[in-house]
Order: sequence, then C-alpha cells, then structure tokens
Amino acid sequence: MSMKRQKLVSDLLVNGALIILCIIWTLPTFGLLVSSFRPEDDVSTSGWWTVFSFTREREGPRFTLNNYREVLLGKDMSYTNAEGEVVQASGDDLSTAFLNSLTVTVPATVIPILIAAFAAYGFAWMSFPGRRVFFVGVVALLVVPLQIALIPILRDYKTLDLTGTFLAIWLAHTGFGLPLATYLLYNYISGLPRDILESAFIDGASHFTTFTRLILPLSMPALASFAIFQFLWVWNDLLVALVFIGSKPEVAVLTQRLQEMVGSRGQDWHLLTAGAFITMILPLVVFFSLQRYFVRGLLAGSVKG
Amino acid sequence: MKRWNLVLSLLVIVAMALTACGGGGGDGEPSGDGGEAEEEPKVVDIFGAFVDEDARRFEASMEPFEERTGIDVEYEGSGDFETLILVRVEGDDPPDLAAFPQPGLLSDFVEKDQVIDLTEWFDDGYLEGQYEQHWLDMATMNGIMSGVWYRANVKSLVWYPVPEFSEAGYEIPETWDEMIALSDQMVADGNTPWCIGIESSGATGWVATDWMEDIMLRTQPAEKYDAWVEGELKFDSPEVKNAAKIMGEIWFNEDYVLGGTPSILTTPFGDAPTPMFDDPPSCYMHRQASFIPAFFPEDVTLGEDVDYFYLPPIKPDELPKPVLGAGDLFAAFADRPEVREVAKYLTTGESTKAWLQSGGFVSPHKDTPLDWYPTEVDRGYAKILSEASVFRFDGSDLMPGAVGAGSFWTGMVDYVNAEGENLDEVMQTIDGSWPEE
Repeated sequence: MSMKRQKLVSDLLVNGALIILCIIWTLPTFGLLVSSFRPEDDVSTSGWWTVFSFTREREGPRFTLNNYREVLLGKDMSYTNAEGEVVQASGDDLSTAFLNSLTVTVPATVIPILIAAFAAYGFAWMSFPGRRVFFVGVVALLVVPLQIALIPILRDYKTLDLTGTFLAIWLAHTGFGLPLATYLLYNYISGLPRDILESAFIDGASHFTTFTRLILPLSMPALASFAIFQFLWVWNDLLVALVFIGSKPEVAVLTQRLQEMVGSRGQDWHLLTAGAFITMILPLVVFFSLQRYFVRGLLAGSVKG
Repeated sequence: MKRWNLVLSLLVIVAMALTACGGGGGDGEPSGDGGEAEEEPKVVDIFGAFVDEDARRFEASMEPFEERTGIDVEYEGSGDFETLILVRVEGDDPPDLAAFPQPGLLSDFVEKDQVIDLTEWFDDGYLEGQYEQHWLDMATMNGIMSGVWYRANVKSLVWYPVPEFSEAGYEIPETWDEMIALSDQMVADGNTPWCIGIESSGATGWVATDWMEDIMLRTQPAEKYDAWVEGELKFDSPEVKNAAKIMGEIWFNEDYVLGGTPSILTTPFGDAPTPMFDDPPSCYMHRQASFIPAFFPEDVTLGEDVDYFYLPPIKPDELPKPVLGAGDLFAAFADRPEVREVAKYLTTGESTKAWLQSGGFVSPHKDTPLDWYPTEVDRGYAKILSEASVFRFDGSDLMPGAVGAGSFWTGMVDYVNAEGENLDEVMQTIDGSWPEE
C-alpha cells in the first residue's frame, strides 16, 4: 500500500515537474504565436496575454493575418519618383530569399557531412603515418572561433574572385562545420564493431566498398544527427552569409530578409513575430523527417549489417 | 534495400552539388575579367545602413541619374552596416561608396588612410556652393574632406498632440523657462507633461545623450561643445554637470514624467511617444528626432493629430537657436570616373528629390528648394535647419566608440537609475573610459 502510494507520489512529482518545465519552455513561443496574429498597434501597446482578458478590452481582442501577408507577399511601400508621382509598390516577397536559403543550406550541409564521413573513416580504420597528429589538428580546430577567420578568408576570396557567389559560402560553411563533423563521426565510426569490418576485408572488400556499403548505412544515426545540427546552424546563420555573399536582394538569405523587414530604425519589429514562424517551418520539417531515420538507424542495430 | 536508396540519393545530391559548384565558379569568372565589363561598362556599388522602404526610396532617387548617364548604381543595405563595413574594408572588398550614419565610425577609416580625400575630386569652391560651412566642417577629418552629406536629421524637436494641446489652452513655449512653466501648468491641470523612454537594447541610453547634447548646446557656446566632443572639456566639469542637472530637473521630477524614472529606463524609445495618442493623452510632450513619426500609430496624421516645436533655447539672448542633428555621409573607397560622377550627383539637391518628396527626409544641400518638401511638417525641419544659429552633430556619434557608443550611454543609464544622486561618480567613470591617445 505504502509502496504504491510512494510510487504515485513520485510519479506525480516527476510528471508535475515535467509539465511545469514544458509550460515555461513553450510559453514564450506561444506568446510569439499569439502576437503574430495581432495588429501592430496592439502589439506595441499591450502584452499578448491581454487577448485572454475580455474585461480590459471592451470590444474584445482583435486578430489579423496582416503580419503574415506582409511577410510573405512583401510590405506595402510608397515612394515618390522623380516626376513627383507617388508610387505604391510591394516590397520583395520571401520566395527569392527562401530559395536562396535553400541553395545555401543544402550543399552547405551535404558537403561537410560527406567529407567528414570519409575523413572519420580514414582516421578510424586506416593506418597511415601522422594519423594521430592530423586528428589532433582537426580536434584543435574545434576551439577556433569562426569570427577570426572572416577577414582573411574574405581576402582570399577576393583574390580568387569568389565573393558574392554561393560557392564562397558553401566552402565557408563546409570549413567551419568540418572539425565538429569529423570529430562526431569519428567517435561513432570508430565505435563500430571491428568484426564486421574485418569480415568485409577478408571477403576482399576495398576501403571504398566497405565505406559505402557498411560504414555509411551503419552510421546513419550519427549522419542524421549531424545533418540536423549543420542544417539548423546554416539556416539560422546571418553573419557568414552577410560577409561572404552580401545582402543584395538577389542573393540575400531568409535571415537577412527578416532583419531588413524591421526597417532602418526597427519600427516594424512586430513583423518579426510572423517571420519567425514562417522561417521555422523548414527546420521543423527537416528535424522531424531526419528524426525518423535517426530512430530507425538506432533500431536497425549493427549486427544485421 | 531502403538504406541503399538513401545512400544513392545522398550521392546524387552530392553529385548535383558538385556540378553546381562548377557552375558557380564558372559564373564568377567572366564578370571578373572582361565579358561584362565591356557590355555594361559602369557599375557603382553603394553600401549603407538604410534598408527596406528607405532603400527603395534611395534607389528611386538614383533613377534620374542612371537614365541620364547610363551608370548603374547598385545599392546594398544592411542593418549590420557598422560591423560589415569594417570587415569588407579590412578584407580588401570595400564598396565604391559607403553611406556612414556616424562620422565617428568613418573617422576610423580616415585615420587608416582608407578613404579618398574628396577635395581632389571637386574644384575649389564647388562644395562651398553646395553645403553650408558647418556641414563641410563636420565632414573634414584629419585635414581631408572625408565624404559628402546626403541626408540630415533634426534632433531638437518636441512632439505634442495638437488638438488636445490647444484645447487645454497650452501655448508653444519660446524659451526653456516657458517650457518648464508649461510643464508646471500641465501638472496643475492634473496632466503629465513628458513621455520619456530610453530603452534600446544594446544601445540603451542614447536618448539621454541626445538630451545632454541639446542642453549643452543651449548652455554653452559651440566652442565648448566641440571641446567636449573632442575630449578636451571633461565630463566631470561644471559645464557638463550643469547640463546633466538641467536634464535631471525634468527627468527626475515624478510629476513631470509619465511613470517616473522606472518607466524611463524600461520604455523602448519607439514606444515612448505612444501614450501621447491615448484619449485623453497620457502625456503632452516628447522630445525626439525627426525620424520618430515612423513609430507613431498608423491612424495618426502628421501635422493634424501631432506636430512638433523647436526645443526652446535656455539662453535666448546669447544662444538663440542652436540645433542638434545628425546625417548620412557618403565616403569613397574607389577612384573611378563613374564613382566621381555618382559622388558629384550626391552633392546636389536633385539626388534627394524622390526620397525627399516621399516625406520624412531633410536635405542638407543648399540647392534644394523648400517647395519640394511634401508637407508643412517636412518643410518645418528644413526651416529649423536653415535658421539655426549653430548646428552641431550628435556628439555621441563623434566621440570615440568606447565613449559615444559605450560609457556615455551606460553612464546615463546609471545616472537615471540613481535619480541623479551619483552625478560626480558617473562623470568620472565616463572620463576614465576615454581612450588614451
């Protein structure tokens, strides 16, 4: 009886704590969601929670899709041209920026993973002189902050005439991502059972066959988890994109568009609420779809090979 | 099998990425060494801090020039201009022209000889014909003409809600004392005179530095102001401390300021004027620069619902009409004939016409006629600017970054936090942070 009771109490405690943590954790996001549907004037004059207190606002809360419209389809702008006519124009929509972000992110995720997987295999299963030294070198690069590399790399790109091209930013992200990728994948790949690899070698498999037919399928969980990391990092990156491809509309990525959207003096910051939810969509899709491989890879185990 | 598919698709993606790489590299080459240079001969890159709608307006202003000369002006704006211009110049990738919102930032490049002296580009006396002398003085750094002015910003303004203001029988004050008397009158009527907010995330405090500068210009001759900005007149001097005290007389008066000092510190500068539009107004006066209408609620009409008056002088006889302002300064990093042409265009009022007619823009050019301004409100800025007895640039933008974008801001926050109790200490701290020569 008392055992059962004790279990009940501890369950309650644990679950209660978890629920409270979840609420604290998601509350700001929820507030952001509510704010994204509120008109500009309301956002700047009252908190999002006031939409639930019907006593304060006599007419009840107001909701609008305007923020989403302005973010997706471009803001309404007006200017007067040299002839003195007022021109009503719509700002750039998000499609170009979205495609640019995709163009930057997919190669910048795939390239480092592939190189790192090769490298990790080499470090883990091939013996060549200087292996340890190289590996220590790679690990040491983990602690180098990317900011100190920006100016020297920009100078090199200038010499190679690469500034402003997508290749420039792919290479930059690849370089900045490689040390961590190599290190993570090395840890995983070096932990694979020696027996499997040895049996492959005995059957006459070359290193390349072993890599593509054994290592890659077996390392799917590690590859997927690093892909999630790298994808999110590149997708959310602003600094590297600003430095290497600049912010001209035809190359600007989503984060830059979002930053511009708030206006020269930050007067339109209310649009960030809707913008945040729109840019969140793709990372969420990536996360959940890779999550599937992540779990499946773990369950498949290594023995079936 | 399924796993195989994944591996295959991964390899396909890589193959695609690699071919795309090749393509990207190939695209880059011809533009670099010829092909384009012959067909589209002249492109001038401009990099600046204004984005979004402002960028559109700037581009519209460049159109007449582009049509006339065939030179293509490519503008690129970023909210991170301050960081990026440094990276690009150091990375040997500078734009042809850059629009600096702060001369202090530009002076760093001038000191490193990275900026072209524009006196070499223009005939003697040309610039004097385009700008008032004080603008030219402000652009002269280390003995060179570091750039040309394009946009001005008037800071010495007090905004007020017009209908309620006149209904209550209030009159626009002509002197500082009248303004204080008006504040007292408002308090006696049961109203709150001032709305003040200085929160601005990493830049919290700049609103207070603007007040300090405005008061300095109203209590001291311009030479003292210049000495202060250059670091010769200490913060811990009677002149500067007096300015802080005058500011404190308004700021630390619980009856004067909506919400008192806690509200000053926590209200974002953009939200600060909003209570003026409550019904009845929660406050009646708000001192802020000419950009602030961008933050007003959408249904507010400038000139009807809200207007401004010139922040009145403290010593009307000695210092009748000092004006504090700011502006954008275009500096050149490349010397090509087409860059010279664009720079020359920027020195004319015509280059501002489209933006100016869109409103909220003040041109520092002499040849900009007043009737280009679309509204009385816009024309008013230009009048204040042209009638100024003394015009000085926002001092915190001119001081070294460690002070002007650092200890001066934080010092003012400390000062407000302690409601003025720690004046000596704050001023000594700011003096201590002044970089050694």
